Amino acid sequence: MSPVRVTASRTLGMARNLFSTAVAVGGFLAAVAALFSFNLSAAEGGDLPLIAVWAISAAPALPVLAAFLAMDTWSEERRSGRLDVLLATAVRERDLVLGKFLGVWFLTVGSAVVSLLSSLSFLWVFAPNALAGVQAISIVPALMGVMLQSALWCAVGVATSTLFSNAAASICTSLALTVALPRGLWAGLMAWSREGRAAFGEMPLDAHALDMATGVFSLGTVALHVVGVVLCLFIASKFVAANRLSGRGARTLRLSTGVAVGLALVAGALFAALAVRLDAVLDLPVLSASVPLSPRTRDILAESSGDISVTCFLPRDDARFRSVSRLVRHLRRVAESVGGARFVVSYVDPRWDIGAAERLVGRGVAEESLVFEKGRRTVSVSLRDGGGERACAAAIRRLATVPRRRNVYWTIGHGECRFDDYGAFGMSDVARDLSQAGYCNRPLDLAVAQQIPGDCALIVIAGAKSAFSRVELGRLDAYLRAGGRLFALMGSADELGIAALLPAWGVRPEAVPIVGVPTLSGSDVIVSDFADHPVSAPLKGSRLVLDRPIAFSPSVAAEAGTGTGADRIEYAAIASVGSRALAVAIERGAGAGADLAIRPTRLVVVGDTSFALNGSLVSRANANRDFFLNCAAYLAGTDVAGASGNETDRLVVGLDRAGRRRHVLWSAIILPGVVFLLLAGEAFRRRRRT
Amino acid sequence: MIEIRNLAFSYGGRNVLRDVSFVMSPGEVVSVVGANGAGKTTLLRVLATLAVPDSGTVMMDGQNALARPLRYRRQLGYMPERVALYDDMTVKEYLRYRTQLKGEPAKRVRRRVSEAVELCQIGDILRKTIRTLSAGYRKRVALADALLLRPRLLLLDDFLAGIDRDMRAAAGPMLTAAASFSSVIVTGHELDDFARWTTRFLVLRDGVIAASVETAGLAPEVLRERLAAALDGRGP
Repeated sequence: MSPVRVTASRTLGMARNLFSTAVAVGGFLAAVAALFSFNLSAAEGGDLPLIAVWAISAAPALPVLAAFLAMDTWSEERRSGRLDVLLATAVRERDLVLGKFLGVWFLTVGSAVVSLLSSLSFLWVFAPNALAGVQAISIVPALMGVMLQSALWCAVGVATSTLFSNAAASICTSLALTVALPRGLWAGLMAWSREGRAAFGEMPLDAHALDMATGVFSLGTVALHVVGVVLCLFIASKFVAANRLSGRGARTLRLSTGVAVGLALVAGALFAALAVRLDAVLDLPVLSASVPLSPRTRDILAESSGDISVTCFLPRDDARFRSVSRLVRHLRRVAESVGGARFVVSYVDPRWDIGAAERLVGRGVAEESLVFEKGRRTVSVSLRDGGGERACAAAIRRLATVPRRRNVYWTIGHGECRFDDYGAFGMSDVARDLSQAGYCNRPLDLAVAQQIPGDCALIVIAGAKSAFSRVELGRLDAYLRAGGRLFALMGSADELGIAALLPAWGVRPEAVPIVGVPTLSGSDVIVSDFADHPVSAPLKGSRLVLDRPIAFSPSVAAEAGTGTGADRIEYAAIASVGSRALAVAIERGAGAGADLAIRPTRLVVVGDTSFALNGSLVSRANANRDFFLNCAAYLAGTDVAGASGNETDRLVVGLDRAGRRRHVLWSAIILPGVVFLLLAGEAFRRRRRT
Repeated sequence: MIEIRNLAFSYGGRNVLRDVSFVMSPGEVVSVVGANGAGKTTLLRVLATLAVPDSGTVMMDGQNALARPLRYRRQLGYMPERVALYDDMTVKEYLRYRTQLKGEPAKRVRRRVSEAVELCQIGDILRKTIRTLSAGYRKRVALADALLLRPRLLLLDDFLAGIDRDMRAAAGPMLTAAASFSSVIVTGHELDDFARWTTRFLVLRDGVIAASVETAGLAPEVLRERLAAALDGRGP
């Protein structure tokens, strides 16, 4: 057996006999489980993968565990005098250091694996649906990230342990170096900078854990960790060897050791800086099945073809850089998997890549944007407005097709919700989504306008509280007869709005309240019954939450099925509760022959206005936003079968308060307690052994 | 043949060892004696490569052993003044661990352990946890550790300190047996015990070898008188 293996085995055996190991491992399991539970509720409804939530929960606890497990590795040898026996043995110091490091590292990684398995197991018991999208292979990058980070913390722990005979001093120094120093510096930077997090991005250690958990391994990050580990172990072996260097005769050796350590530090820093500067990224394909891209985006990518160049024009230290680059990589990967366009991704940092930045600015591209290019066409997505999957998907779509009618008109003058109202009762949120999809939002006063503008893609009536005048209704009717598109949100039966117009188009609002339906608060209605319609089919399996909605029924015009061909009205209840239709889609003229250039009239009427208000969209664990956007896409004629960000992409744990309490009880208290008792019992048993 | 030439060591401006030179033949047991602070432990630490000498060499088979320390340590058995073992292990586990750490191939580990156990007469405590052993048995285990690879140079610091009369009596045959393959250097203050089995005394005074006394052919009284004189500085 090699000395490294023998030492690693002895370190593991020694750790098994220590009560401090039982405390450290039990405490680690409890802390990670508690953090995991807390982070789960924070991530509910978001697009963070479950494994990533565990990784960001484990990352802060790893240095503490490593410090506890490593504190005795050398300090105990020094204190007991065994160091002399070890140094008089024919073994290199580096082998001893490496062996002890490996022993501590195995124990740390083993604890992390137990933590991961227990967290997932208990989640499987209490919320089986939460694990629906988790694949075994997706655990690999998270574990690799944890192994990399824990290697660094263990190396620091082993190195500090060589300095002290006192384990307490060792652990304090180790914690100061791995926890207090980086997080303190970070907190200081946040306090010092007025822009704080926006200026410096995420806390690097946490961001690295998140990156690696999602399969993104940047060369810079990996190099930093590897260099850190090698440096720490090198310094540790030098510190151990320095125990021989007492006396005058060792002056030269002490000096050369100091120089060697200094040079190693410089070389390590240079190497790490070079790796960070090059920033090559290894994108593990293991997450391809759980990439949080919506079916709608996938469809858009599948329809794309040729080469699309994507340039991320953003400083690398920007807070958004990681999430944006992650998204772009996901787009490229999914496009490859569905046989779509070939994405060529490049990054231009305005501070470093000055030449490329000048060229982009010369072409009118603003800083902090994503630039999509195909042939001579360019679409730029500003990251100042949030960017995101939907904006990117829209940009990719716009590279293929350019809508001729680019304006969405929002009626005003009847108490409607406004698209430029940024308050809780406004609709600026969905309006921004529309503008990111390539449309301009404009107000429309039907009392003033003589006719509907020709560039109108659709008209939105967002909860008119007073009735439209006959003149206004006449203009709307004329617009619809010419193949217009109308999206009507009706808050309640009292909100008259265009109620008088609808029966002629096949739909009639009902004043009967809806009772006996699934609800969360009593006033809302949870809709999960979606029809096979381009608007609603992609939403199957998700939930639409409406507040005191009204229902609709087909009017005489629809029931009679008046006319054929261009006059035929097709009535579809797209979202229902029981037999009550809460949202309907009307199409007239769809049956016209293909040789007739008649644009079909389309109406979508929803029995609730509040579902698309800014305040309602704060909670993302529903399909309200997607429903609105699907309606708009269907009406504008750019409907792509699919929804963006339905529940299959979101993290939905589904733990209620009692379930969460049970999960915490088992994963953060009972299991760590059992592990602690087992380890402590083993230590006790071995101590009692004669 | 092991030859120590002009060994010197200083620490904090104080010369702890000065011009220490002596030669050891195979099978020789040398006892280094002297007052506290005379440099006995330092001499052994330098010989065990735990301290770097200011000057001097240790020649083994005509080559400077300190120039190739890893190879030299393979031929070295060292037992420090303060016996430090892993208390949580059994004696057998400890000796197996130490044999493996010293790089002995797996197939020879058992044989090496058996030899050392037999030599140190600790067969009856093999399954005992080291924590439960008396000071004397701990010394025996430490000695077995030092003897594991049948070293050519065995360094035992304050070997007889803190052990009872029976153990001291048993130490003689152990060292005599060890001397069949090792040159042994022992330090301590137990002159009468040493006199039973040592071949030569080196008297260390203020870091200098003040006297070298061969035991062969000397009556115990004469030997005691000569050593006392050397230790008191009354002559060689």
